[in-house]
Amino acid sequence: MIPLLANLPEWIWLVPVLPLVAVVINAARVLLGTATGDAAEPLTARLSSLAAFGGLALMLAIDALALIDAPPGHLRLAHWFGNGNWEATFSFMLDPLSLTLGTLTALIGWLVIRFSANYLHREAGFHRFFIGLSFFLAGIQIVLLAGNGLLAFVGWEMCGVSSFLLIGYAWHRPVATGNALFAFITNRGGDAGFLLALGLAATWLGGFEWTLLSKASQISVVNDRLLVVGFVIAALAKSAQLPFSAWITKALEGPTPSSAIFYGAVMVHAGVYLMLRLEPLLVQVPDVMFGLVVAGALTAIYAWLCGLVQTDVKSALIFATLFQVSLMFVAIGLGWTTLALVHLCLHAGWRVWQFLIAPSWLVVTRERPPPPPAWLRNNQLLYTAALQRFWLDKLADTLFVQPTASFSRDAHAFEEHFIDHAIGQPGQGKAVHADRPLVVADGLPGRLLAWASDVLQRIEYRLLLRGKGGTAEKLMHRAGAYLRTLENLLEQPRYLMMAVMATFVVIL
Amino acid sequence: MNAEDDLPIGERLAHWVEHLTHVLPAQAPIRDFVHHNTLHGFQQLPFAEALSAASALTGATAWWPEAKFRECLASGRICADDLNAALDDFGVADLDAPVIRALSRRDVLLASLLAGNDAPDASRLDWLRRETALADDFIFGHFFRLTVAMPAAADAQPWQALAQARWAELCGRVGKAWTWRSLLEHLSGEDVLERVRSILQRHLAAHLDLGVAAWRNPAQRLGFFAAWRASAGFDLAWEMDELPNVRDEILHLPDSPLDVLLEELPRLVADESLWPGYLQRLSLELPGWSGMFLWRERHPGRGDGTPVAMLDYLAVRVLLERLLSDDLLRRLTGGPLPLADLPEHYAARPEEFLVRDALHQAWLPEELQGRAAGLVDQARHEHVDAEDWRHLAAAIAPAMLGAQAANAAWQLASLSRQLGLTPVDLETLSGEEVAALQACAGSLRAEQRSQIWLLAYERHYRQQLFAALTANHSRQAAPATPSAQVVMCMDDREEGTRRHLEEIAPDIVTYGAVGFFGVPIYWQGVDDAGKTALCPVVVRPTQLVCEQGVAGAEIEQEQRAARRERRLHWRERFYQATRRRAVAGPILTALGSLPALAALTAATLAPGWFAETARRWREQYDGRLATRLVLTAERKIEATPEQPQLGLTDSEQIKYVEEFLRMIGLTAHFAPLILMLGHGSGSSNNPHLSAYDCGACSGKHGGPNARIFAAMANRPEVRAGLAQRGLLIPESTWFVAAEHNTCDDGVEWYDLDTVPERFHAALDTLLAQVGEACRAHAAERCRRLASAPVRPTPWKARQHMLGRASDISQARPELGHANNAAAFIGRREMSRGLFLDRRVFLISYDPTGDDDGAIVEDILLAAGPVGAGIALEYYFSTVDNERFGCGSKITHNITGLFGVMEGADSDLRTGLPWQMVEIHEPMRLLVVVEQTTERLTAILNRQPPLQELINNEWIVLAAKSPSTAAIQLYCPRRGWLPWTGSSVLPQVAHSADWFAGESEALAPAIILGGVR
Repeated sequence: MIPLLANLPEWIWLVPVLPLVAVVINAARVLLGTATGDAAEPLTARLSSLAAFGGLALMLAIDALALIDAPPGHLRLAHWFGNGNWEATFSFMLDPLSLTLGTLTALIGWLVIRFSANYLHREAGFHRFFIGLSFFLAGIQIVLLAGNGLLAFVGWEMCGVSSFLLIGYAWHRPVATGNALFAFITNRGGDAGFLLALGLAATWLGGFEWTLLSKASQISVVNDRLLVVGFVIAALAKSAQLPFSAWITKALEGPTPSSAIFYGAVMVHAGVYLMLRLEPLLVQVPDVMFGLVVAGALTAIYAWLCGLVQTDVKSALIFATLFQVSLMFVAIGLGWTTLALVHLCLHAGWRVWQFLIAPSWLVVTRERPPPPPAWLRNNQLLYTAALQRFWLDKLADTLFVQPTASFSRDAHAFEEHFIDHAIGQPGQGKAVHADRPLVVADGLPGRLLAWASDVLQRIEYRLLLRGKGGTAEKLMHRAGAYLRTLENLLEQPRYLMMAVMATFVVIL
Repeated sequence: MNAEDDLPIGERLAHWVEHLTHVLPAQAPIRDFVHHNTLHGFQQLPFAEALSAASALTGATAWWPEAKFRECLASGRICADDLNAALDDFGVADLDAPVIRALSRRDVLLASLLAGNDAPDASRLDWLRRETALADDFIFGHFFRLTVAMPAAADAQPWQALAQARWAELCGRVGKAWTWRSLLEHLSGEDVLERVRSILQRHLAAHLDLGVAAWRNPAQRLGFFAAWRASAGFDLAWEMDELPNVRDEILHLPDSPLDVLLEELPRLVADESLWPGYLQRLSLELPGWSGMFLWRERHPGRGDGTPVAMLDYLAVRVLLERLLSDDLLRRLTGGPLPLADLPEHYAARPEEFLVRDALHQAWLPEELQGRAAGLVDQARHEHVDAEDWRHLAAAIAPAMLGAQAANAAWQLASLSRQLGLTPVDLETLSGEEVAALQACAGSLRAEQRSQIWLLAYERHYRQQLFAALTANHSRQAAPATPSAQVVMCMDDREEGTRRHLEEIAPDIVTYGAVGFFGVPIYWQGVDDAGKTALCPVVVRPTQLVCEQGVAGAEIEQEQRAARRERRLHWRERFYQATRRRAVAGPILTALGSLPALAALTAATLAPGWFAETARRWREQYDGRLATRLVLTAERKIEATPEQPQLGLTDSEQIKYVEEFLRMIGLTAHFAPLILMLGHGSGSSNNPHLSAYDCGACSGKHGGPNARIFAAMANRPEVRAGLAQRGLLIPESTWFVAAEHNTCDDGVEWYDLDTVPERFHAALDTLLAQVGEACRAHAAERCRRLASAPVRPTPWKARQHMLGRASDISQARPELGHANNAAAFIGRREMSRGLFLDRRVFLISYDPTGDDDGAIVEDILLAAGPVGAGIALEYYFSTVDNERFGCGSKITHNITGLFGVMEGADSDLRTGLPWQMVEIHEPMRLLVVVEQTTERLTAILNRQPPLQELINNEWIVLAAKSPSTAAIQLYCPRRGWLPWTGSSVLPQVAHSADWFAGESEALAPAIILGGVR
């Protein structure tokens, strides 16, 4: 029993894998068509909730062990891939930071899944929603518990994908799908930073382990700065800090519980976690830390001003969330990481509750909140800017989404006008020769095949079908005569004996 | 030229705005949700016509889709008889005239209804041909050969002419059924409305906001137009949207919205006679926001003092429509073009129009669809040669003709299959006969077909109900000496409670009445900040009744109020400051976090327990307070709804009590206890909370009315006054009051400490009986809720309901009025002992004491509109939940404290959420009155409001004879029609035996235990 308990941290991989198992089972049920009707709902919800609870229980047990003994720290479970210069592993980080956030996330995830079981009853997208939510839970736990940057990046992307799927939950509404796409594309900016940092880490440090990254003082400050900037961009994008803020205000199209866990409580804090995790690296580049303070402070002003003019509850809450998250960035920039961590945990707990009871707003509030000070109140320009959210969504649309859309349109045109023609499509064939309408081909391979068949046919035609008097026929006749002579000779005993002896010689 | 055209334009605009009140949703801010007919503005039209008109105007479907009705036919919810009778009811002419051979018109129409009038689109037809046996299907093949041959002769026209005709038809819609935006969307696939909405929505919400935003537009006091203009002048979005000239236009706008309208409207539509239609269409494109704006204009007292004028809104709306349509048109045609020249532009380019138009058509084969979409998309970014358009148009044109043939063949094939025609019959059918068949089957328009299906659907239930009433007639018996009389709301949900109570205590007599118990008052509870009207929404009370602590408890009351105020203040501070305050926000967040997480955990794991504990804690903190009513006013004063009189005078009290008791027919045989049981609904985390409450109390709780009534009726002065008027209530009778929570099936009793001791024993029994009835009722409700336990014991069911009511994750705390279907106005004996599945409004009325019909006239006038409002709101929200209802709750987002949006950028959603109506059977209310047809005809003849409801068929009226079992159905066309039919009904001992294990709507049954 005791050794089993002591080995408990080795099972940490179950925390993200359990929800993934739920995803796989539920997705299989949907694909096989068994998940339909009221009767299928409890199983989906229970599987997801059980997986989430399993994760929570495991986290609590490990927490208890860590409290009795010491936190297990960095755990390397398996080799993933790599070459001589660098290695990627399956490793987990079980220090107080990860354990705290992992446990909190497991708790919130479990509660939100339980909440959703009733809330989404009989929705057309019931199973889809739970698949998305469990997938997110797996992703965010990988981010929080991973022992290295590469694994965390996998989780980071899982969060991005599930966020995209759940913003677009009501896919029949163009606003919902448009906003899902918007959020997805702006978030890719952050991914570029993350990937850049990972690439640099592999080149300069020979690995992605967090423990390795914190020892980055060996490399020059310039390199260090570049490395950190990559991670900072990723963090700013995920936590919707300026200049990436616009996406989160457009992300409220999904069901209330998904808004609560993604944008109120958990995912919005992922960037803060990344910064806390990289604290040893950060402190070596004070100018980047100053940058964090600036970004945080600007976001705080932006979110506060916009929050004042919001007229719908979810938007009001999202700006409030953004405001406090930006304060965490300021705190990290100032080096107050413990404060940021405490603030993060408490904020997540409050916000998930506030988002989930957003439909009660009519009951819990009675009067209009007090207006801002007079100098601000009467400023028409600032009011317009706040109402239009400083035009950030339009800017982001022009700078990120439109170019991406144009690029994909170009790619599509390229494919349609060049690649499709080169490859060819079934049923689109045209006659290769006007005199042979039955031979039709399209695309390079098609034409190649047509050409090859043409050549072969010509050979066949020349050799065999051309009939009497052709060169080929003469040659064939002559060859036939030689072969007949050879056969006759071989049938005579002496040549037969010679052949047998020659065989023996070869064998011996 | 009518008289209106001579009026100055300002007055005409006011008239047009006035007219908008008929077509826009008239939903009040969501805190005061009151059921009303969604199509109230069309009520002057007959039902079917109104629905067609509304569909044409709003694009909504006003009936269930035919496919749904056909499913009902398959499942037995409609039977062939019903459909046959519906054809007669609908009044189709010459039903028995022969069409071809032995087939009458009735046969063909029935077959056509069963076969359906929809054909698969081109892609599906193609698929069916490839993948199923359709290609070898003899009947389809036969008709396809016939129909392919037919149009070729008829349509010798080239496609250019067809396309031009179609374009002219589409252009003709502008200003009537369409706006330019619809036309441009049809052509380009790009919806200007999406942009208009996102530009407008933030400004609208900011202007109408009732308490979410802290910061308002500095120019808000000047009205919406000025506020919008002040902001729009600073808005950088115009440049970002590549509309740089818009800012100049806005800066040079006239100051008056009227001038803006007069400047912009001619640019949109030159023909002045189309302006009202165009404005109406424009308002209906964002019905939620337009409706709320108009409502606020019409009810200035219910806002926060912000000036709201519909003309402001229309001016901005028209301006944006013109600006953005201009822009889209420029991009569409590649150069600046006034909107007025658009018709000419495409008339000259039929090939481009044909391709763009075909993209929306179901007949376009998949491959051509891809090419057309590609070309239209290409045209969005670069110039497309006319030759390319022409090339594709030439390919599309034959498909257009072929598709019509396939459609006709499909319909004829399904029709002849329904008619049972054999291949031999088909071979011998002549061309004329086929044409006659086609013409007969196509003689009903889609709306007419739907209406016939609806008639059949309603008839099926009506037959069951009439059979039940007939079967129950011989069982009528009332307990001679009732142990108690219980007066409840007429609400359909209380049918269940009453039935269970009667089963548990056969010596109890129950009554139903409009749930404000005839006491129209303002109410101010001890915890309320202001007064609320507790009466039907059309009545404006002039009396106020307050609740106060008992005498001698003034200090406690003050303390309690202070503590309560402190608690609510802190709660509000937590919710508001954590989103609004820069410094206090994070601190309060940190303080509130752990309790919030604990609360969430508890509320998720044990909602019932947590809510109960929290309630107890609240009560402990606030302190308990026994309260009394401030009921009696010394003398009458001149009171207005704004300055109501405090309390009611003796004579007013006597009048209210007398009128009410006479109305429900309770004038003798008073039991020792008379319970007045109001109702309300308590659910958590539910913006549509008040839609579950008492409709007769303006969407509030009816408990206070019950309490006031009981207090009045117990006063010796009132009793004496009543006695003088011949209504002798003996000393041995006491009135008690309570409120039934329809969500958790709990009962809150009022003023039990004032009940004299001699009634205590009876009261104990009654309390236990009512409690038991509520638990049995909870068990019945469980059957329709998927997450409720299956076949629960009453105790378990009640536990479940308690948890459900306080569960913050529950989108269906209760099912409200779902499945309401009928109303009975008559003595309870008429329906006592019947299982009516909580579908019938029960209104007590004694025909024997009402010789001139005055009482039933009042009841019809009061209950008719309430019942019709509920039934019709449920009807429309069910048949088209996207347009008439507000969609699914799960993405709802409270906006400005007056409504909900889907997500953070959508139209304001009005009507009922899908979760409330998903199991509803959409039917009109069937009102059965226990009175003679002569009296009812007389009432109908003198009451225009009833004529509107009944003669226009918004509700269906039937009369049950007070003395015999005869029932007659009223048809506005044919008069009173005697009902005949089988009256054999299943019989069970108890309700529970009938509903056990069933989860769908149930037919009536006789409950043997319900009548002693």
